[in-house]
Amino acid sequence: MREFEYLKPTSLSEAIAMRVRYGDKAVILNGGTDVVIQLRERLIAPDYVIDIKGLEGMQELTFDPKEGLFIGAGVTMNAIGEDPNVKEHYPYLAEAALSVGSKQVRNRATCIGNIVNASPLCDTGTPLYVLDAKLVIAGSEGTREVPIREFITFVRRTVLGKDEIVLGIKVPYIPEAKGIFTKIARRKEVDLSTICGTVLKIGKSYRLAFGAVAPTPVRLDKTEKLLEGRDLTPELIDEAAELAQTEVSPISDVRASKEYRLDVVKVIVRRSLTTFMQEV
Amino acid sequence: MELKHVGKSYDRSDAIKKVTGAAEYVDDIRLPRMLYAQCVRSPYAHAKILSIDTSAAEKMPGVKCVITGDEYPNRAGLYLEDRYFMAKVGDTAKYMGEAVAAVAAETPEIAKQACDAIKVEYEELPAVTDALEGMKPDAPIIHPELGSYKVAPIFYPKPGTNISHHYVLRKGDFDKACEEADYVFEHKYYIPHVQHVPLEPHACMAKYDADGKCTVWASCQSPYAVRQALSVAFDMPLNKIRVISPTVGGGFGSKAGTTLEGIVIPLAQKSGGRPVKLTYTREDEFVNAYVRQGMHATIKTAMRKDGKILGVHNMFAWDGGAYTEYGVNITKAGGWASAGPYDIDNVWTDSYCVYTNHPVGGPYRGFGMCEIHFAIEQNIDEIAKEMGVSEVDIRRINGLRPGGFTGMGEKMDVAGFQECLETVIKDIEYDKPSVQVSPTKIRAKGIAGGWKSPSMPTNAGSAAIIRMNEDGTFFCMSSGQEIGQGAATVLPQIAAEVLSVSPDKITFVSGDTDCTPYEWQTVASRTTYCAGNAVKLAAEDLKDKILDLAQIKMGAMKRDLDFEDGYVVHKIYPERRVPIKDFALGIAFEDGSGYGGPAIGVGTFTLENNINTDKKTGVAKHHPAAFWTMGVNGCELEVDIETGHIKVLKMVSCFDAGKAINPALFCAQSEGAMVQALGTALFEELKLKDGKVLNKSFVDYKIPTADDIPELVAKYIEHAEPTGPYGARGVGEPLMVPGAPCIANAVYNAIGIRFNRMPITPDDVLKALREKKEKEGK
Repeated sequence: MREFEYLKPTSLSEAIAMRVRYGDKAVILNGGTDVVIQLRERLIAPDYVIDIKGLEGMQELTFDPKEGLFIGAGVTMNAIGEDPNVKEHYPYLAEAALSVGSKQVRNRATCIGNIVNASPLCDTGTPLYVLDAKLVIAGSEGTREVPIREFITFVRRTVLGKDEIVLGIKVPYIPEAKGIFTKIARRKEVDLSTICGTVLKIGKSYRLAFGAVAPTPVRLDKTEKLLEGRDLTPELIDEAAELAQTEVSPISDVRASKEYRLDVVKVIVRRSLTTFMQEV
Repeated sequence: MELKHVGKSYDRSDAIKKVTGAAEYVDDIRLPRMLYAQCVRSPYAHAKILSIDTSAAEKMPGVKCVITGDEYPNRAGLYLEDRYFMAKVGDTAKYMGEAVAAVAAETPEIAKQACDAIKVEYEELPAVTDALEGMKPDAPIIHPELGSYKVAPIFYPKPGTNISHHYVLRKGDFDKACEEADYVFEHKYYIPHVQHVPLEPHACMAKYDADGKCTVWASCQSPYAVRQALSVAFDMPLNKIRVISPTVGGGFGSKAGTTLEGIVIPLAQKSGGRPVKLTYTREDEFVNAYVRQGMHATIKTAMRKDGKILGVHNMFAWDGGAYTEYGVNITKAGGWASAGPYDIDNVWTDSYCVYTNHPVGGPYRGFGMCEIHFAIEQNIDEIAKEMGVSEVDIRRINGLRPGGFTGMGEKMDVAGFQECLETVIKDIEYDKPSVQVSPTKIRAKGIAGGWKSPSMPTNAGSAAIIRMNEDGTFFCMSSGQEIGQGAATVLPQIAAEVLSVSPDKITFVSGDTDCTPYEWQTVASRTTYCAGNAVKLAAEDLKDKILDLAQIKMGAMKRDLDFEDGYVVHKIYPERRVPIKDFALGIAFEDGSGYGGPAIGVGTFTLENNINTDKKTGVAKHHPAAFWTMGVNGCELEVDIETGHIKVLKMVSCFDAGKAINPALFCAQSEGAMVQALGTALFEELKLKDGKVLNKSFVDYKIPTADDIPELVAKYIEHAEPTGPYGARGVGEPLMVPGAPCIANAVYNAIGIRFNRMPITPDDVLKALREKKEKEGK
């Protein structure tokens, strides 16, 4: 890979100043599991790499029934997956975090990196989409919060400004929520999602999010509306599964065909809702 | 005779070094003033090279030298000398990724930047991207000079076409078999390209001394074959090339030939004595090393209604890639074995090796057998289903037995196929249907057989030297390479048996053409057999020499002396014994004089009466194959009919090992083979589009992980191979052969869909289920 200058800011203001100063010539290094690959494959050739791992608060992972969960930008996938609060209150998020790459990759990879990288198939995206999580972003103008659905705008595109750094993500706590995360991949371990999805049940409301079916992870608004307030029956589940298929627009690629993805979206919706129905 | 060391599961002698990371691989070697190489590679599947401008690269600071195809006076190749190691200006680059220039520089990054600065002008040509298309008369010709290439006399290229070898087998009369048949079936199959994915990518370093001697450190299976290819390519005498292969991190065939060595040598030649190193990236590994050839198969089978196969008619078309220097022999091997492990009177086979503009095909564990058996063993099952015969009975009826004949007409004195079949059927409880656990996850079982012989030159040679040290320890020197299969453990075990000492007293030394003796190649599952025979002969030679000295020292007749636990012992008066080590430097007399000198044993092995087949018909005159290794796999799996995922629950293997020199290592080989076969059946395919490899990394080329491994049962039977050391025959490759068709047969048994192509992916399963549903709906 091309030579670059490695920068390690010691404070947030210094890091933001570096972002402002170097602009497009710099990239942010967090876990590095995406950036290092992009460097090696010469997809990026930065002059500066700003390592934010050491910044204060980056490793914060806190839970409070009122405030919900806060995941700092430096918190790794394994830390999320093994956290007692996440496991108890957001087991589907823990599962999603632990479905990323290999154990070694998860020791480095961060959830925030996964989101900022903005791949349509980001494994931790769909649990955060159904929970309407909000990214906490710091920039030269101060701090702002952006809902995840507005943060990711397209394949590998976000609203993150050139002077900004994501500090973490706020995940609301909904006591009665139950979620099911499903990842369909070619292989059980160390694989990208062919399709991933999370179905969340809050009383008689349902939220559905899918990855690898569109340029960004998506929420299935129409399907959610169809299910709103109704008792689950096999007929309703079938109807929901059919409708879900119409709300996604997957493509064919080296991993799977469009037809396969459409089939599997239906299967995930049906299997998840059936599980909820049987639990009642 | 009771064996003390052969047949025992000694721990691997290389395990601790490999597990602790202490083993030194080529890329670990750092020499003073070492330079790094990088290549410029063609971005076209097929293109004429109009010009190459290296001037800017040469001027860059840190660049030592730049080379192009001009450095290569001669074509080289193992059987068919069809390749320079780099495409030349005025000639064509024949696959996407072929090297057209290379740079040696102070750092890999400088070398890479210099490569970017080299300007190459191409004229793109129409490409051949399918073997069957490539055989058509109007196909673009990839090697117009094929007629002038030097070729081993058992291969038949067709100048003016893309066919580099047409193998022919004509035994009996297939047409007559069809006339007598109650049914004639025809089935077609396709096997895509896969890659070996050894853990250690290819690496090579070369250094020229002032006296013209070139030392090459290469991660390779066959140092002597590399030396030979380099000697031909660069017009160098063999005593001026030294090939050292330190530790090999997996071969599976991919390191059998000569690949990047040919690029590094001319760079080293121009680097004024400085060593030059090239280590392949994983992406290189997928494209620029070797790949397993793709293959189209059409099998016609003439059947009698009682399940007897009267005749088979095979057409195999191998996608050999841009250079088929090695592939021609895989094509031949596929033809040799084309009847499968079945006794069939009438066999007609055409096996074609076809040049295409794909990555270069080469040997891969199985050497054509995995490919042809994916067709043969599914064909057997398909016929059984269509005729209403059980797939077990059809194998019982036709499977080889002692006294039977192979497709080439060799009489088999030993054939353990039937016993392996019965063992596997019992272990997997094939007669009991799978217990179903879910309406959407369907379970079923499958079986498949397979066989393989070494496809090596009939006179391939092996040599070994055993030296005894003064303390009764030994060096066993051979160039049979440890590539993970266990040679460094098994070969000393064979020597230990003869010398009556524990194998830990014997250090195995290999992989240095200046120091360790000749070995044709570490391929063909021949090392335990060929190098094993040479080692056994060397040990026996050493023993014989010691007994010559012992009869003088002990005042006894040689015929009454033998080795026992490290002593020369008198068979009648066992209290008369002298430690073997006392003969290490010969014997000494009371007057101070000595006799005999340091103890060295030499063994050389070439299989005798291993005779080529008839040139016209391909029928055996005697034994063209050194031995045939055969066996059977069984499996149980589960197909998720909603997601298309196939989960293999259990695999069972039984093979006739002849003699398992080290049972634990046999089982490890067997387990590894089943997992590798599972990978090809379910995951692996080099996805090619217009000559481009779309998945040249682990992101999109998947091999099994520990999590995908089912319960594995590895068994063996032992019907001795008469010509093998202690009855052993080669097993490393044959063990992989039945795995993929076994899985495909079980998938059929689960969901009633026949997949004539691997891998069988979730996508394929759902698509087939959709199509089946539509068909049934109509």
